[in-house]
Amino acid sequence: MASNELKQEIQAALDNSTLARTLGNFCKTYPARRENSYAGVDFEKTRDKIKEVKTYAADHVDEMIEEFTANCEKRGGVVFHAHSTEEAMEWIRKLVKDKGVKSIVKSKSMASEEIHFNKTLTEDGVLVQETDLGEFIIALEGNTPVHMVMPALHLNKEQVADLFTEYTKEKNEPIIAEEVKTARKVMRERFTHADMGVSGANVAVAETGTVFTMTNEGNGRMVGTLPDKHLYIFGIEKFVRSFKDAAPIFKALPRNGTAQRITSYISMYTGASEVVTDKEADTKAKKEFYVVILDDPGRRAILEDKEARQIFDCIRCGACLDVCPAFALVGGHVYGSKVYTGGIGTLLTHFLVSEERAEQIQGICLQCGRCKEVCGGGIPISDLIMRLREKSAQEHPNAVKKFALDAVTDRKLFHSMLRIAAVAQAPFAKGQPMIRHLPLFLSGLTEGRSFPNIAQVPFRDIFPTIRQKIEGEVKGTIAMFAGCLLDFVYTDLARDVILDLNSIGYRVEFPMGQACCGCPASNMGDVENAAKEAQINIEAMEAEKYDYIVSACPSCTHQLRSYPGFFEEGSEMYQRAKTLADKTFDFCKLFYDLGGLQDSGDGKPVKMTYHDSCHLCRTLRVTQEQRELLGHTRGVELVEMEDHDNCCGFGGSYSVLYPEISAPILEKKIQNIQNSGAEVVAVDCPGCMMQIRGGVDARDLPVKVKHTAEIIAEKRGLI
Amino acid sequence: MSLITDALFERFQKNLESVNGACVRTTAGALAETLVTQMKELGISDTCIALTPLLEEAGVVKALEEAGIQVYTDHIRLHAETAKGGVTEAQYGIAELGTLVQGRDNVDERIIGTMSESYFGVIAGSAIVPEYDDMFELLGNLPELPNFIGFVTGPSRTADIECVGTVGVHGPIRLTAIVVDDK
Repeated sequence: MASNELKQEIQAALDNSTLARTLGNFCKTYPARRENSYAGVDFEKTRDKIKEVKTYAADHVDEMIEEFTANCEKRGGVVFHAHSTEEAMEWIRKLVKDKGVKSIVKSKSMASEEIHFNKTLTEDGVLVQETDLGEFIIALEGNTPVHMVMPALHLNKEQVADLFTEYTKEKNEPIIAEEVKTARKVMRERFTHADMGVSGANVAVAETGTVFTMTNEGNGRMVGTLPDKHLYIFGIEKFVRSFKDAAPIFKALPRNGTAQRITSYISMYTGASEVVTDKEADTKAKKEFYVVILDDPGRRAILEDKEARQIFDCIRCGACLDVCPAFALVGGHVYGSKVYTGGIGTLLTHFLVSEERAEQIQGICLQCGRCKEVCGGGIPISDLIMRLREKSAQEHPNAVKKFALDAVTDRKLFHSMLRIAAVAQAPFAKGQPMIRHLPLFLSGLTEGRSFPNIAQVPFRDIFPTIRQKIEGEVKGTIAMFAGCLLDFVYTDLARDVILDLNSIGYRVEFPMGQACCGCPASNMGDVENAAKEAQINIEAMEAEKYDYIVSACPSCTHQLRSYPGFFEEGSEMYQRAKTLADKTFDFCKLFYDLGGLQDSGDGKPVKMTYHDSCHLCRTLRVTQEQRELLGHTRGVELVEMEDHDNCCGFGGSYSVLYPEISAPILEKKIQNIQNSGAEVVAVDCPGCMMQIRGGVDARDLPVKVKHTAEIIAEKRGLI
Repeated sequence: MSLITDALFERFQKNLESVNGACVRTTAGALAETLVTQMKELGISDTCIALTPLLEEAGVVKALEEAGIQVYTDHIRLHAETAKGGVTEAQYGIAELGTLVQGRDNVDERIIGTMSESYFGVIAGSAIVPEYDDMFELLGNLPELPNFIGFVTGPSRTADIECVGTVGVHGPIRLTAIVVDDK
């Protein structure tokens, strides 16, 4: 649960107009730029290879450490294997003191931030200079990185000019090219006079003892070229076995990180390279080359967890940040770890920085799954965040949430509550189909969107009154799983699903014992209630009796298909769950596969655009069937809106827990819809429908939001 | 390694130019003259050079000095702090990316490649491999890796202020690859 403090930090981030502009633009243009950078390179193959080499290294981590150490030392390096962050810092502290190091130039090292390198040595009286421009700027500001790759995105050029003016005691103009020149001038002096350079590694090769550093600015090379002492700090997750194993990582890292095919510099140090020891005398010698391998209990805890160990496949590209709809709005500061941010940052924070903080920030994840699509290491990031949520829900149950989910699981209680709500909402609905304002603490829910009314008569009571007309032979029987939104809000949509399926020869039944699919419980990490709901529905749906199960809500479909995971493999319930899962399809997919594609429709012209729901496009991977169904409908002109597969901000309970993040995500969606010029937005998820309809209604826009099933029923004259 | 083809050169050039680098092609016989022309165009008055047999045979030092350009071939660490130009020979290149590869542990070459404002990377055409994967294959098969290997692709760059791409933060502001046709 988000604390008040976190809520305030989120609000502050949302209020930062520079962050909104720079990060917003970056994230908006990132997907297309990234895709261009992969021209001629197979991303899937590359990341499969990365996963393979990283997994090998993680499985053999002790050998990696031993081999790297032997090989690096053979080439003149000195390696320290630190078993905790404190041990690492103490060793470095002593080294710095023993060698009389007074000034240090650093290129980016996230591991050094974990061990509080700068703070500790600064307190010891050492001049520690961050040399990456972004890191330098935030060091002057006294802040932490807002993004793993671009740390100072929250500041504008005017703010940078002020910081530089204060630092150099000379007036700096807010002109970016000039500011870059100032940084060059200031930093040259530091590079040429530093006693020691400090680097972080992107990769460490066991077989050769080589460390790799990738940079664009050239500070990494300066740090490794000029001072006669050089210290590398990196965690045990950076290993690969062979030199060639590093190749796929540097193929994906720049493309994923900054949409570059390669950065300006990749430097590879194998042991102690040559330096100039006295520039006047032009004498040369091998440098003093030190390596600290960080092998702290947090990293070992990651390795011990059979799912979380995939975190070791991370290449720190930051792609999961760049595609995250929530991150694009709030940036990295709210993640609070001072080191790692975004999706992967939530996971790393849990293991390496603070479990407490991670427990709060895991809620920022919408579970839209975009991060999994782009992850350079093929890590199921949002799924692992869900595991954190589950763990947190088990360890720190929240009484209010728990009560709500218990109530949902108690079908009769939940259904009576909804029936009561249908009557109690009257003062807020004021006779309108949408509720625009809710009182007091609930008002955040209706900020920028309206809520639909709860139906006066639930679908379960309407179902028996529907006359199913099937022409010709009945091809089969389908059980309908309505889910809460179809059962209690969008009852007309539920009816249309039936009429559509009737029109292609299928009879539909509605098993009355069905309850909530369990998705809200799963989303809040409440495995216990999710499993209970799975059992109720498996027993109620009796999938064995039907040809298929249809759901017009992709989140329900996904949940039903995940039921086997709640039961022990081989058990009777597992078998029943599997039967249900195998027969369950989302409406548009099932309707298409059963021959629903026809060139038919009333021919009345309507310009339409389509919004992809996260679960349908990224989890169930259905993107074409619905477009074909709509595109073949006479009269429909289907146009794509920008970012059609971006989340609408609903995210189930997310829009309730984080309305301040959900609202601007919805705002973007509405803008894209308007820009498309469409009169109708087609969707396949009632949650998205509720969210987008709410947004359209609150803005009084002449745009209709309809489910594919409704459009088919309407245009084919089935209602 | 075989002689560079026109297609491979053009690929190297196109990719280097796409990241704000410059690229010219010359012969060993015309190398000195090419360097003089390039430096004169940029108004460079002094330069560091890390000599190699190719650069010596081409007589680059004499030619540059005759053109009025101050040349430093020793005390590189000292002179690189002020000299505007810098010339080294790269050991390899990658056409797919327009990358120059320093594949040996020579600190003067590293200093010049890092500190110069205008850096000229001379490379034998036959040392350019087509693909990135070829380079890893080649380096991975070396009996022993040099203490230092550096991939350099275009000038130094940053987008750290407001995501605006700007060249020349810490490293070279201009990078010119001079591809020399092998005899």
